[in-house]
This record gives sequence, C-alpha cells and structure tokens, in this order.
Amino acid sequence: MQIYLPIAEMTVPVESILLLGTFVGFLSGVFGVGGGFLTTPFLIFMGIPPAVAVGTQANQLVAASVSGVMAHWRKGNVDIQIGAVMLVGGLAGSLVGVFIFKLLQLLGQIDFMISFLYVVFLGSVGLMMLLESVFSFFKKKTVRSEFNAQKLSPFFMALPYKMRFPRSKLYISALVPAAIGFVGGLMVAIMGIGGGFLLVPAMIYILGMPTLLVAGTSLFQIIFTTAFATLMHAMANHTVDLVLALLLIIGGVIGAQVGVKLSKMITGAHARIVLAIMVLIVCIQLGGQLVIRPDELYSTVIR
Amino acid sequence: MRTLFIFAVLFACLPFFSAHAQDRSLTIDLAEDRVDITAGFTGARLALFGVKKGPGQVVVVIRGPEKTMVVRRKESALGIWFNKRGVKFRKVPVYYDYALSVPESELAEPETLKKNGIGLNALKFEPDTWRDKPEYAQSFQEALIRNKQAEGLFPLKPRRITFLDDNFFRASFYVPSNVPTGQYQVQSFLIRDGAIVDVQTTALNVGQVGLEAKIYKFAYEQSLAYGLLCVLIAVMAGWLANAIRIRGG
Repeated sequence: MQIYLPIAEMTVPVESILLLGTFVGFLSGVFGVGGGFLTTPFLIFMGIPPAVAVGTQANQLVAASVSGVMAHWRKGNVDIQIGAVMLVGGLAGSLVGVFIFKLLQLLGQIDFMISFLYVVFLGSVGLMMLLESVFSFFKKKTVRSEFNAQKLSPFFMALPYKMRFPRSKLYISALVPAAIGFVGGLMVAIMGIGGGFLLVPAMIYILGMPTLLVAGTSLFQIIFTTAFATLMHAMANHTVDLVLALLLIIGGVIGAQVGVKLSKMITGAHARIVLAIMVLIVCIQLGGQLVIRPDELYSTVIR
Repeated sequence: MRTLFIFAVLFACLPFFSAHAQDRSLTIDLAEDRVDITAGFTGARLALFGVKKGPGQVVVVIRGPEKTMVVRRKESALGIWFNKRGVKFRKVPVYYDYALSVPESELAEPETLKKNGIGLNALKFEPDTWRDKPEYAQSFQEALIRNKQAEGLFPLKPRRITFLDDNFFRASFYVPSNVPTGQYQVQSFLIRDGAIVDVQTTALNVGQVGLEAKIYKFAYEQSLAYGLLCVLIAVMAGWLANAIRIRGG
C-alpha cells in the first residue's frame, strides 16, 4: 500500500516505513538504544529529503524517549537537577543546530554533512562497542568500576559555576553537563538522533554520574531537546511530516513490544556484539557512498 | 420578469456569440482540469481532447510552475565526494511534457518550436551564474535536464497525439507520484506549413486534497501550532506505548 506524505511531497510504501519503525523499535527494546542512527539514514536511502528525514525523526524521538523514560521514572532513576542543567545546554544546542542545518542546506552540503557525521560517529561508537563487548565476552567478569567526581580531570574541576547535585552525589561545574547537553542538542537538530550513545558515556566518564541514573536522565533530557528541535524544524524549515512520524511511531511501538520480550532471551555481550556489527554495517554503507565515485555527479534542488 | 426573460435569451445566445467572436481553429478540453493528490496517490493519467478546423499539425505542451533550481556537481577531494560547484537556473518549470501529432522535424523550424517552448530543445535555461562562461554552464544545463528526466518530471521523448478522425484528437499524459504541486499550464498549438496559426491555453491545478492538504496547509500557515500538535501527538503515543507495554507485561 502506498501513502502520500504531505510534507515530503512524495509517495512511499506504508509497509517499508512501518517495518523500519518496527525494526528500530525492536532494537530499542532489545538494546535500550534510541535507534535514530538507523532511521535517518534509511529514510534518506528511501529518497526522503534529508531535511524531512531529520525533522520528522526528531518528532519520532519525542515518542520514543517519553516511552523510554517512564520505566526509569517509576524506579526513581532520573536526576532531574542534572537533567535540567543539561537541558539548558541542549536547548541552546538544538537552536544552533537548526540554524547550522539551514545554512548547510543553503550551501548544498547538508547531505554530505549528515553522511559524514554519521560515518564518524557510527564508526567510532561501533568500533568501541565491538571491542568492549568482545573483550567482556572473553573476560566474563569485567565489571566497570564506577567513576566519581574525584577522578574528573583537573580541567573540568577548575571550571566555575560549581553546583551540588545531591541525587548523583556530585559537586561539579554546571558548565560541564550543560556542554554535554549542548552537543546532544546539536546532534538532535543536525542528525536527527537523540545522541544517547554519546550522552551516556559522556555522563559516566566525564561527569562521573552513577551508572544507574544515566539512562533515565539522558532520556529525560532528550524528550525536551527533541520536542524543541521538532518545533524549530516545523517553524524554520517546515520539515516535520506528521504522517511519516506517525507511521514510524506506530511501527516503533510494535517493535519495542517484541524487542522487550526477546531481550530476556539474549545475553548482554552477545547482543552488544550484534548491535556493534549492525552499527558498523550502516557506517560502511554510508561511508561507501562518500568515497565511491557516484554514477551521477550532478544533483538538482529547488531553491 | 421582463429582465429575467432578457437574461435568459442572452444566456441562450451566449455560445453563439462567443463561437462567432472567436472563430477558433483549435478547441481543446482536459478530461479533468485538476490532479488531486490524495493519501493513496501514485500518479495520474491525464487525457486531453481537442478538435481542429482545417489542415495542420497539433502540439500539446504541459508545463508546471517555474522555480529557481540549483545544480551542483560533486568533486573528489582527499578521496571523498562532495558538492563543490553550483549553477543556478531561473524559471525552470518543475514539470514539462509534450505531445506531437508528427515527428518534431516535420512540424516547423527548430527555431520556431524553441521560441514557443516546444520540445526538449526549448528547455535550454539560462544559467544565473557563470554567464560569462557558457561552455562551463553547458554541462550543468544538460545535467539539469538529465536529473529531471530521471525523476520522471521531464520527458525522454515526445508523446504521440492520436487522431480519432481527421479533426478530433486525443493526447494522454502521465504525472508521476512525485509531481510538484501548483498551477500548471496546458498549451496546444495548431501548426500549418511550419507556422503557428492558433494557440489555446488551459490551466491544470495539481494540488493535495483531503487530509493531506489540510496537514500541508496547517504546517505552512500555522507552523507553531502544527509543531506543538506534532509534539503532543508524539508524547501521547509514547505514553500509550508504555501503558501497553506494562499491561502486556
């Protein structure tokens, strides 16, 4: 069945969008990742304009992160205070990001930039995950020791505007979580991903937050940055396609259901190896398009 | 009552008057004067019927609204391909297609055709950049047409006009699902001995209808409210998804 997307102004097969949503939802159910890193490239592969893919993806992420944060919220695993400080940076980041996006579009470099950023991020994250999970697979009892504020590098400790975060038992400069939030906001606006895979390690290794609180807090923050990015994309670029977003959300709900059930049958290290390989495949696919000489060197856009 | 009667008589005579006043040698009509893009739109077939008086050949041209287009060329630097140079073209129709009753060469001089916007040769757009280096813009110009052809928005070759009898003809066109919206222009020409003797123009409206149209209009005219609605729907969907998950265990 074909459906016309009013904002993308093109017809797409409903099944493939639903399937994509389901697959990404499934991934989030199994691995607890947002999956935006897969949706945006696939939408672009399908011929949806990159701007619409990113804008709509921001909208879909609102649903994904609301749904994701609730379990953490019930268990009290959200540090609202750090989340709020990150959010200040996050909102600024997505504001800047939307305008960088618009500028890149004007310069005709947006497709290239999205692919390039994806290759860099997916490549490094995929490789790190692969090494880490292979390592832990062989040395089964590696338990990561928790970092704390004392282990922060002197540079971060010397920054001003120190704040107390009792929930995370931290006394650090507010600039650090705000800066992490800023990078997250940039990624939401430019790449259409929540950036959880970058925020989570940054919060553990740079802020020294307790691991237990990290996922919930980053999701909490992502809800607002994605909502804000959706608004900005809708207003500045008119690139949020409600029909496309709904299809992705519906697929995501179905997929997450199956994913959560399946996740109980899969062991952590196995699952992470699979995810790492998947991330690397998408990375290679995108990277290939950048380095292989394209069949058609010229492209046309309406100004 | 009297005035009404006069009006009635006038109306009854109207077709006579207009027919005599114009004395057209070419009359055309679209089977549908609009293309409705609905939720399940996968492209549409357009039929056009016409009658000509006297000898001559017929040409029909469909032309979408004109936009400024930018053609960019990828170049390799450090082994990575990315857009380098761009050439801007003004007044490029977003869609173009045409139908002929005889091959182009038998119609008229190429110059005449080009001047009237008939045929692929008429789609030579003036580059806005590099006007001093026409030979450089040439490759971008060709690429523009090639790209539009690949999208199915420019024709590869003309369509045929079929004559149902000596004077009654039909042309059919196809617009693909990615057809841009807007006010289209359908022009038909009667060509006799290499000269254009009559031109008829009708409008064709290509637009979204139904829910899709409402969404489009809402998104552009009230973008803040639209953005808020999108966020609200997503929040509710996310909450609902979670509720289902808990219920489902």
